[in-house]
Amino acid sequence: MENKPAMAGWAFVVFIGIIVLLTPVIAPYSYEEQNLEEQYQGPSLKHWMGTDSKGRDLMTRVMYGGRISLAVGLAGAAVSLIIGVTYGSIAGFKGGRTDNIMMRAVDILYGLPFIFFVILVMTVVGRSIYVLFIALGAVQWLTMARIVRGQTIMLKEREFVEAARALGASNARIIVYHLLPNLIGPIIVYATLTIPSVMLEEAFLSFLGLGVQPPASSWGSLAADGMIHITPVKTDWWLVVFPGMTLAATLFALNLLGDGLRDALET
Amino acid sequence: MLKVLLPIVLAPAILCTTITFTTHRQNRAEFTYVSGPEPETLDPPLLTGFLEGRIVAALFEGLTQYEPKDLSPIPGIASHWNVSEDGRTYTFYLRDTKWSNGEPLTAHDFVYSWKRALDPITAADYAYQLYYIKNARPFNEGRLTDFSQVGVRAVDDYTLEVQLENPTAFFLDLTSFPTLMPVNRKCAEAHGDDWTLPENMVCNGPFRLAEWKINDRIRMEKNPFYWDAQHVKLQSIDALAIESINTGFNVYETGGADYLYGVPLPLVETLSDRKDFHSHVFLATFFLRFNVTAPPFDDVRVRKALDMAIDKEGIVKYVTRGGEIPAATLVPPGMPNYQPPEGLPFNPEEAQRLLAEAGYPGGHGFPKTEYLFNTSEANKDIAEVIQQMWKKYLGIDVTLVNQEWKVFLSTVKNLDYQIARGNWIGDYVDPNTFLDMFVTGGGNNRTGWSNRRYDQLIEAAAEEKDEDKRMEIFREAENILVADDLPILPVYYHVSLDMYRPHVKGVSPNLLNIHPWKYVRIDRETN
Repeated sequence: MENKPAMAGWAFVVFIGIIVLLTPVIAPYSYEEQNLEEQYQGPSLKHWMGTDSKGRDLMTRVMYGGRISLAVGLAGAAVSLIIGVTYGSIAGFKGGRTDNIMMRAVDILYGLPFIFFVILVMTVVGRSIYVLFIALGAVQWLTMARIVRGQTIMLKEREFVEAARALGASNARIIVYHLLPNLIGPIIVYATLTIPSVMLEEAFLSFLGLGVQPPASSWGSLAADGMIHITPVKTDWWLVVFPGMTLAATLFALNLLGDGLRDALET
Repeated sequence: MLKVLLPIVLAPAILCTTITFTTHRQNRAEFTYVSGPEPETLDPPLLTGFLEGRIVAALFEGLTQYEPKDLSPIPGIASHWNVSEDGRTYTFYLRDTKWSNGEPLTAHDFVYSWKRALDPITAADYAYQLYYIKNARPFNEGRLTDFSQVGVRAVDDYTLEVQLENPTAFFLDLTSFPTLMPVNRKCAEAHGDDWTLPENMVCNGPFRLAEWKINDRIRMEKNPFYWDAQHVKLQSIDALAIESINTGFNVYETGGADYLYGVPLPLVETLSDRKDFHSHVFLATFFLRFNVTAPPFDDVRVRKALDMAIDKEGIVKYVTRGGEIPAATLVPPGMPNYQPPEGLPFNPEEAQRLLAEAGYPGGHGFPKTEYLFNTSEANKDIAEVIQQMWKKYLGIDVTLVNQEWKVFLSTVKNLDYQIARGNWIGDYVDPNTFLDMFVTGGGNNRTGWSNRRYDQLIEAAAEEKDEDKRMEIFREAENILVADDLPILPVYYHVSLDMYRPHVKGVSPNLLNIHPWKYVRIDRETN
């Protein structure tokens, strides 16, 4: 691993990961306990990132928010990974008519505005963090399916697949034991890049008030709560800057990491 | 071929778009205000919200209208009236006025409109504003089908006679109110529910409806057929549909609006020094409704516990911050001669005891509960604080649910909620406007609560002639509402926090925060 940016990204992701894992132990305050007397305080030694409109410690909320943001990112990526890989490898391997129908379906889904779809799902099924996981994953698998399909088409003509088939292996066996191991590189790379994009979408939905519900918070909802304090007459900047910067830095690190992985695995 | 055609096809299209954009920009109304969420309806007897009332009051006029400073009833469509000695018969003498299509407006139009408002099929939530009229209630409840027995009659085209059940001190206040405003029969019958669309609407107020763009704006223009048109200063008004108060504030601050109702709560202190900031005593109460038809809120002990576990002082001090007063009763201070009951104090220990008595010690086993509010930053802030107080003092977990204004109204109407944010702004200066809404089956009750004694007291108050005794009856009734039964949980009394630019003249601060646009003018010269 010579790629310095990727290593830096990796280090930052690990750092954030450790912090959110340890949050319940190391968080200085409770994320929901309100202390109205201490509302709207700027950053200080007591509250490193200041306090919000209800006097809650912002750093604690950013830490807890990170748990939700990262969980949504990971879960969404996992859902998209499962659906996308299964779908793409079947389409690519089967080929012909099946492939055609399956991929046209993907094209059509691509055409749908995804936010609209997610909002629809959340309205029908109800708002909960689990619905959010599924809904975001369910719109993220399309690109994954395309990548996997393309690679499968390329691989299925190779000799080792012929050999496996000659030995009487079933289709499922060929896909699982012979094709997927060869696809692992691009899948990992793309999954790494899916995490930040799911996180960004969650932030977007939370920003619209559709994501996590109070008193829980994610980086997106914290930024949204903070935005209303940025007005022409009064600015409590820390309420936006800290959640926003944390989100941006994490997304940046994840993208660097993904790029680095691509360089390393796809050459 | 295509290459040659393309510019020819595109050029006019681009030109058109440019023209629409530029004309749209120039075409700003003389006066613009931030109205709030998209209005539920503009049908006068059907509306229940304050923001709808504001628009309808510009489009329609009743027999009387509000005097802009003290809100006393002054002649509107009726030029004068007589009241019989026993106070039960009102005779209104109508001016020779016209509808916005130029046709004459007569006493028959009022008979039709009041019949329509009372018709059970119309299902107007505010129908009870007409219950003071003889036999209006049985007609509205379907017990009487013959409208000729209801006490309203057109003596001739310009004389309207109204028989009341009891001498009602505030009846002339009611005739200014949207529920009693006239609706054009031909228009309403020809277009059904669509009669309030701009292409159909026939109205009789200072302004007429020119344009209605959903979620954008309602454009009103001066109505040339209005009887007092010579005194209407504004040529056009835009009511902007903006749900978020922060967006509204930004629009106001960047010059996109001349008038803003309410300000973002976090900014109240910063703005209070500014010259265009106007705060005034306001006859309005923020409260919560309980759906008393379903557990756990069918248990009065639970309702009381929830009330006593809210530190209302903290809410007004740190959340609303505009000088609001914590409320233990529904009727706000400022009602002449009225001495409100005490209500319940903030007392977490007693709240915990009551909750334990109801079977949920320490909040254990308390069912999943949702707190419903219409989408707005202020409502969310208050909801979050209350949520936390209940958790802290009672150990109850409450989920917050927000809905868009129209959806919210219908959810609450259908009792499809557990706890819902409520707000009541007085329609006139009398405790009755706060208390009569909670009678059994009242259109604005919306809690499922019913108490026979309460109903009797509200009826008794309507019949009582002695003012002191009447207030005493109201006090007893309100005591049932806020101390014994508690279908609602009063949180705080509002103050009105408005912003308007110095060039907006003719706005008089008053108790109901009603500012008829008729008297407003724009004057950029003098300051």
